Amino acid sequence: MTGAESGPVEDRRDSWEGPVPVPTGANSEFWAATLEGELVHQHCEECGTAQLYPRAVCTDCGAVDPPFEASSGVGEVYTYTVCHVPGEPGFGDRTPYVVAAVDLEEGPRLLALVDCDPDRVEIGMALEVTFWQVSDEAALPVFVPQ
Amino acid sequence: MAEPIVAGVAESDLGETPDRNWLDNAGIATVRALEDAGLALSDVDGVAVAGGDDYMPALVLSEYLDLEEPSLLEGTEIGGSSFEHFCGHVGDAMARGRADVVVIAYGSTSKTGPGRDRSLEVTHPVDGFLRPTGLFRPPGAYAMAAKRHMHEYGTTEEQLAEIAVSTREWASMNPKAAHQEEITVGDVLESRPVAEPFNLLDCCLVSDGGGAVVLVSAGKARELGVPEISVAGVASTSTHRQDISEMPDMTTTGAAVTGPKAFDEAGITPADVDVAQLYDSFTYTALVTLEELGFCENGEGGSFVEGGTTAPGGELPMNTQGGGLSYCHPGHFGVFVLIEAVRQLRGDYTGDRQVDGAEVAVAHGTGGVLSSSSTVVLRREA
Repeated sequence: MTGAESGPVEDRRDSWEGPVPVPTGANSEFWAATLEGELVHQHCEECGTAQLYPRAVCTDCGAVDPPFEASSGVGEVYTYTVCHVPGEPGFGDRTPYVVAAVDLEEGPRLLALVDCDPDRVEIGMALEVTFWQVSDEAALPVFVPQ
Repeated sequence: MAEPIVAGVAESDLGETPDRNWLDNAGIATVRALEDAGLALSDVDGVAVAGGDDYMPALVLSEYLDLEEPSLLEGTEIGGSSFEHFCGHVGDAMARGRADVVVIAYGSTSKTGPGRDRSLEVTHPVDGFLRPTGLFRPPGAYAMAAKRHMHEYGTTEEQLAEIAVSTREWASMNPKAAHQEEITVGDVLESRPVAEPFNLLDCCLVSDGGGAVVLVSAGKARELGVPEISVAGVASTSTHRQDISEMPDMTTTGAAVTGPKAFDEAGITPADVDVAQLYDSFTYTALVTLEELGFCENGEGGSFVEGGTTAPGGELPMNTQGGGLSYCHPGHFGVFVLIEAVRQLRGDYTGDRQVDGAEVAVAHGTGGVLSSSSTVVLRREA
């Protein structure tokens, strides 16, 4: 990790009522970085493959524990949906809300909330990352229009 | 003769079965399907079962049915396409003489049962990246794929709705269908929004129920004297699991791989298919499957389904029991896809419900969130 901030971190620990990721194994470093406002992905030193979600193996060459590096936090909407029915506990007051598959500049694609007016979102829209800290262990990457 | 032969099919009661659990529904469907085949539980050499609420479902169901020394125990869980996938494994086992009678079974209480885990501490390493986004799964995941298809090909919500309308026309002739009243494209577009672009009528039902398919060896089929509905081709694959963002290209599916393989094995082309039973968890699921199996070109599924192409009397009768959209959908729909394909090939129906002279059917399962694909070609042997 570089220590470079990808986006601001907002403390939502008191208000968040949704699911919270519990860091385990290969994803621990990813979630630790989010607390510092850093979006990271794995970048294999052996073959150059960039990947998310984090895994103990490179999905291309099989190298074990590919290292993490910082992402710019910039990406674009590959596709999205607007949820009118809450998909998880704690989302009932949030409908309608946007969830997108975000293509990061570095290559990996990440599923994430997009915090914007549902009428505004479109495929190809440029986004940048922010973070909502939802527990002592993790901040969720949440994207906003650039 | 290609093996295996489908000797019997049946559903349990469908809709709401509050006094049944998944095993009851799977068990009831099994004994009904055996009766349809002229067989008894004592004839069963093995089970192939997916879903259910149990770890090790093949053992749980074998115990529940008190099977004696089963020689085939198949519990591969690849979602709604598991049942099509099983047809390949069962055929291989029969070709080697390892079993003569195998029951593919499914049971669920998706509607009245306990429901999914809603705990807030997500320890699963992948779900930790999915559940906190709030994505309403599975509809939202399929919706994202549909959005991308609309973006790349100009597919419209009206075209997706055509599938719901044509499927409901079939359901109107099926007394077992949950919804039988006819609908219009306008009804679909005006039903309440779920996950854009899907409205409620773009989405499958949530039902209780079970289904079973009895597969037998060629020798056993001759002994039974059943109509010889053979499994003529099978292929399966996957592209990802539950994380739709892991899908390399959201406008295609594994059916692009499994369709040609299964058709080749059966020695047919899409033009030879008389009736198609294509898993319809959502209108889009059926639309993209039509494209990938080669019934139309990529991106042309929308125009293909316009004007009732898949409705009664249309060029390609599809989901002739009313599909997951209107008949039933107890979590995994794959077993029901097979059941209806077999009934059409046997000529079980009368009037407009029966596809006249149907000799070749394709049954396609889709599991997860467009994650697994399995195609089966079924043929009525002369």
